[in-house]
Amino acid sequence: MIRLHDLHKAYKTHLGVKPVLRGIDATFRPGEKVGILGRNGAGKTTLLRLIAGVEYPTTGKVERQMSVSWPLGFAGAMHYSITGADNARFIARIYGKPIQETVDFVQDFSELGEYYRLPVRTYSSGMIMRLGFALSLAVDFECYLVDEVIAVGDSRFGERCRKALAERQARSALLLVSHQAETVRSFCTTAAVLNDGRLTRYDDLDQAIAVYQAV
Amino acid sequence: MTDAALPAPARRGTRIGDVLACQLRVIGALVLRELGTRFGRDNLGYLWLFVEPALLGGALGTLHYVVAHSVPGGLNPFEFWVIAYIPFYLLRGVINRAPFGIQANQSLLYHRNVTVLDILVARNLLEGAAVLGALIIFLVFFGIIFGHWPSDPFKMLFGMVLMLLLAHGVSLLISAGAVYTELFERLVHLVTYLSMPLLGAFWMVFWLPYEAQRLALWIPSVHIFELIRDGHFGNLVPTTYDIGYVLAWIAGTNLLGMAAIRRARRDLVL
Repeated sequence: MIRLHDLHKAYKTHLGVKPVLRGIDATFRPGEKVGILGRNGAGKTTLLRLIAGVEYPTTGKVERQMSVSWPLGFAGAMHYSITGADNARFIARIYGKPIQETVDFVQDFSELGEYYRLPVRTYSSGMIMRLGFALSLAVDFECYLVDEVIAVGDSRFGERCRKALAERQARSALLLVSHQAETVRSFCTTAAVLNDGRLTRYDDLDQAIAVYQAV
Repeated sequence: MTDAALPAPARRGTRIGDVLACQLRVIGALVLRELGTRFGRDNLGYLWLFVEPALLGGALGTLHYVVAHSVPGGLNPFEFWVIAYIPFYLLRGVINRAPFGIQANQSLLYHRNVTVLDILVARNLLEGAAVLGALIIFLVFFGIIFGHWPSDPFKMLFGMVLMLLLAHGVSLLISAGAVYTELFERLVHLVTYLSMPLLGAFWMVFWLPYEAQRLALWIPSVHIFELIRDGHFGNLVPTTYDIGYVLAWIAGTNLLGMAAIRRARRDLVL
């Protein structure tokens, strides 16, 4: 279970304080697959970062009663100067996973070939994305936070991610932020719309998409 | 393939033992990673860890030995300068690197298990281990070449630990400040350079007139350098230090530093 209590986030900029999120309350239950729809600049990524605990809310609280992944779709969680395999070792160590199994799993899932033994800075963006997704699957979180990443990748890998997430249907929750209704439709069972700093949840996917498209 | 897919342990547990175990695991992983990124796997690799401070210390020692500046108290100038320079290198290194501590490792903070404190502790531990390694190399060298072994190696080790802790406390404050302003980044080298004559590395308290001694002993690092020299030279020269005073400084800087880091983390934009 993840609970968001009256979440506000504002950033200080040269043009003064810019509020991004203006009071978000929500509950995400284990196993739920929720799409969060929002236009560019609506604060989707910010919301994901707050849920992940990468950044802190200005006011309000994030309550996590399940293990939550880092926000996938950024290179943020990786090291460019070390190899993919070394990244896997590092992740295994900090999350207390068996090292060799993690290295093998990530190698297998990411399909990087010999690039797995080269520094991440030599990777294409698609390869970085595959590595990031494989790393997070190796840790096996109870909730995955995904930032449009799967839609960006090639379709074959997208299909594998979809399968991997589906296999975890029962225990893993998914929060996917996207500005594309189709992405949300293919991964999620319910959806919410982020607009004007507030989040509205809809039990019916089609209703959410209709509302989003009207925004 | 499925072996790796064990349920993830919850974030740091609530029991103090779980929290510590997680912190130790993370710091261990960070030290290994820092080793990998700083020294790579090419040529001398990890050896640079000790060689870098050792070369600097050795060069400075040789310089003063060749120029034949005598050191009051009749100490071997080479030993005096090396014993002074190596702990100084630790203090300066930790403090000069502090403004970049968070910035250089921001991507690690995507993992909620990793705290800013873990990152800074790992960096400074590594720096401390490197400099200690260099010091040990020199002590063995002095023993073999000059036939002079430290009078009390534990005092020297204790002194190095105190130096690391003091530098760590100050570095926490600087790292936290650097989140808010570039000023630290711009000024830190200037300040460490200008304060070089004040820190007590390159003179001894007994060289000074009485009034100046009293002023000098307000500076915590002066005590630490004196302790290290006591450990090396023993009764050859008089030394003056108060370990309680140093511990108070360490406690003060570290507590304030941790509070500052905690605050800065909340305001950090990644």
